[in-house]
Amino acid sequence: MKSSASTVHPKQTAWGHVKENYRLYAAAFLIVLIAELIGMKKFNAGPALIVIYPMLFAIVIGVVLGKDIVKFFTKEETKKASSLVLVAITPFMAKVGVLAGANLPELVNVGPALAFQEIGHIGTILFALPVALLLGIKKEAIGATSSTCRDKDYGLICHLYGSESPEARGALSIYIIGFLIGTVYIGFLASFVASFQFFHPLALAMACGIGSGVMMAAASGTLATIYPEYADQIVMLAGASDMLSAIVGIYFTLFISLPITKKLYAFLEPKLSFRKRLKYEGDV
Amino acid sequence: MAMTMKNWTLSLVFTSVITMLLANLIGNHVSITESIPGVLWLSAIAFTGIALGKVIPLKIPPIVFVVLIGMLVASPISPIAQPIIDSTAKISFMAPITIVGTLAGIGLDFKSFISQSWKMVIVAILVFTGTFLIQATFAELFLHMTDAGN
Repeated sequence: MKSSASTVHPKQTAWGHVKENYRLYAAAFLIVLIAELIGMKKFNAGPALIVIYPMLFAIVIGVVLGKDIVKFFTKEETKKASSLVLVAITPFMAKVGVLAGANLPELVNVGPALAFQEIGHIGTILFALPVALLLGIKKEAIGATSSTCRDKDYGLICHLYGSESPEARGALSIYIIGFLIGTVYIGFLASFVASFQFFHPLALAMACGIGSGVMMAAASGTLATIYPEYADQIVMLAGASDMLSAIVGIYFTLFISLPITKKLYAFLEPKLSFRKRLKYEGDV
Repeated sequence: MAMTMKNWTLSLVFTSVITMLLANLIGNHVSITESIPGVLWLSAIAFTGIALGKVIPLKIPPIVFVVLIGMLVASPISPIAQPIIDSTAKISFMAPITIVGTLAGIGLDFKSFISQSWKMVIVAILVFTGTFLIQATFAELFLHMTDAGN
């Protein structure tokens, strides 16, 4: 999309760039300002300390102003915003890198645990697949539960099954739901699990690396607030785990979790699907 | 399809750089002048990582290079490690992330979100619960086996 733009404007000046995007930049600045003024909120829900970061308020304000509700932003602006997410997250990843470099001995120390917890990504299947089948979901369940369905995983499923396939529809559902629900939920989950004090804070930190930088930030931020004495290590390990997922994640989905999902599906589907044919909307 | 580095840099300045200063001031009570060195270091690391990702022809997400560069310049072998660690320590780790939530929220396709069935919402929650719990379990197990968590 940029290549066509660059042929139309062979040399876009800095001023041209600002003129094209000023509305988005100004509005984003104001949203950050409002979210930061609301500030971090902490409250107790039973045994768990729930932490809500300005980021979550920012997401909500952004969604409300977006092209579907208040319609403050145009379609082009929302597209542009999506593409800017990957730009805007880089300083955070730089921070994660600096923390890792500064705590290199600790990182090496937990290296084996960090590597092996990647296997834990099969956890996406464990509860989700049986329940999906009980709910009457068919092949969509394969795409939906074989990974956390972040960008690359969705791309992989589309590549393997075709973007119109039930598998890809399932993955797309989790991709869409995952961003909004996932980001809010993973923070709650992290603090809820932490409240049992069963896991070491560093083990929880590594579990935050689920292949989405935004979710990792939400979960590790919550944990860092609960365990201030481990704050730097938590952010560093969550970041390292997330980076590892970013590198090996797609291969893990392709060679390990997707084959397991398919095997389990073939085994469980006849046993768990009581409502056969009922929700069979003519999938070919 | 990728952005030119000039547009990338402008986008970074108008999104993250400005709002990091703002968020660190309001949310973390660090003055803008005090935040500037840290913000500049983080931005420079990000820039170097992304530029490197464009040059290196490997199928690795460019964001990985950002983390690796950050790790390298802050590691014990780096002569400039201390100033980088000290100045970036003043930037709270949540200060750079509010803008990310903002942009992701603006970009969210809410229409297709509400058109999803409640069943898929349950499945999504179980997908995330499952991976979080099992990853934590494996991490815990190996922390104990290698005696690393203390």
